[in-house]
Amino acid sequence: MATSNPRTPLPSRIVMAAIDMSVSGDLPLGIATSLGRVFAGFAFAAAIAVPLGLAMGAARAVERNVDPLIETFRPIAAIAILPLAILWLGTGTAAAVLIVAYAAFFPIVVNTLAGAKRIPPTLLRAAATMGLSRFTTIRTIIVPGALPAIGVGLRIGMGVAWTAIVAAELAVGAKAGGGGSGGIGQMMFIFYAYSIELNRIIVCMIAVGLVALLLDRGIRTGMRLLMPWGVA
Amino acid sequence: MADAAAVTAAVDAPRRRLASAAVYLRTMLVFVLLWWALAAWTANPALLPTPRAVAEALVELIGDREVFMHAGISLGRMLIALVVACALAVPLGLLMGTSPLLDAIIDPTVEMLRPISGIAWIPLALFIFGIGNALPLFIMTYAAFFPILLGTIAGVRQVDRRLVDAARTMGVPQRTILTRVVVPAALPALLVALRLGVASAWTAVVAAELIGAPSGLGYAVEWYRELLMTPQVMVFIGVIGLLGYACDRAVREVAARYTPWAAETRAMA
Repeated sequence: MATSNPRTPLPSRIVMAAIDMSVSGDLPLGIATSLGRVFAGFAFAAAIAVPLGLAMGAARAVERNVDPLIETFRPIAAIAILPLAILWLGTGTAAAVLIVAYAAFFPIVVNTLAGAKRIPPTLLRAAATMGLSRFTTIRTIIVPGALPAIGVGLRIGMGVAWTAIVAAELAVGAKAGGGGSGGIGQMMFIFYAYSIELNRIIVCMIAVGLVALLLDRGIRTGMRLLMPWGVA
Repeated sequence: MADAAAVTAAVDAPRRRLASAAVYLRTMLVFVLLWWALAAWTANPALLPTPRAVAEALVELIGDREVFMHAGISLGRMLIALVVACALAVPLGLLMGTSPLLDAIIDPTVEMLRPISGIAWIPLALFIFGIGNALPLFIMTYAAFFPILLGTIAGVRQVDRRLVDAARTMGVPQRTILTRVVVPAALPALLVALRLGVASAWTAVVAAELIGAPSGLGYAVEWYRELLMTPQVMVFIGVIGLLGYACDRAVREVAARYTPWAAETRAMA
């Protein structure tokens, strides 16, 4: 049978490969590199998308003028702009961070806007009647009201960001001839292309799944602790 | 009162659509002007071509039918993948939604596989299928499968129990209950699920074609990048976005047409 071939994936071999890769530090390092890029890109995306979404929700003029741009670029998958990112920023961390930021931006801005627009108009009218300034209205009514929706956006954005980083690193690994810069996605591609090690590819896939799950659960728990009133 | 308001709204609708189209054009015009200025300032057509160069590339690629060829291949792959994913996920979802036992047996596997994105399967799938049609088809089917399955299960679970009970009281056989009561009641949720499946399949096809297919839009983008023909790269990126939007729109139209009563449909519009 083919199971005598040491490359054929077997649960026992996958466990051995996982132990081996964890002890040697390759797997933790790869995950850490990818996570670092995800957090960097995610931070950029959130820093732009949340204020933009709030501004769009607070002022109709901003929404009307910015929304076409967002709706035009939203259907373009982050992976599709990867070739442009490589062209502009090379095959290193900068391109990966750009892809992550682009991917995470849209869910965050769309959800923030939806959250800001869902605030009961009576609250806004009451604020206007009581003479609150625009800034105070945003700070005391729109932000707290939109917070649960922002949380949902951040959670979805994080999921998309993690998928995007794996795709970006895979593609960079595939197209840069191995001259890329690490990360779990590239690690997988090297196990495919240069040393056909199916067991290790499967370990990486499981790791990708586990990290996705942990990120999602982490944000969920964080949101529940931060805003018990939310419905995220 | 309400009727008068409705009539005014109906009369205003075309005018409002025109106004929003004007706003759209104004915004995109500003965008193109900024792009032009930036391109002129960079003065490096390989890095950032002018809008004009991209437009010329578009005309050229339409002229020699290359856009249509790659778009057709990618769309065809997506259609096949969606059909396969629906054929697998919808019956499975119906079973899991109606039978707690099956749900308890299958759900752990689903929850284990679901966090592993379709894209993470690419290296293993490359080894199994090689470069060709099978790889993007597999990745897309996988990517579309989970949203459709989960949406179907959720849709079946939210079907009004009383409808099913009423049918049962009237002696309707189990299979007819499924096809005549459960499926129509779950249809809006199914269409929402299909929409999510389309979105995730379309993202996956680009990634899969970029890495491991000899044709299709993702392949074309990467091919022209290697040739440093940036205007063509941008044309294909634009086509990917446009078709992604068109597919999403098509599902929404289907939903509006066949399930106009549903809250889900209105939420989509």
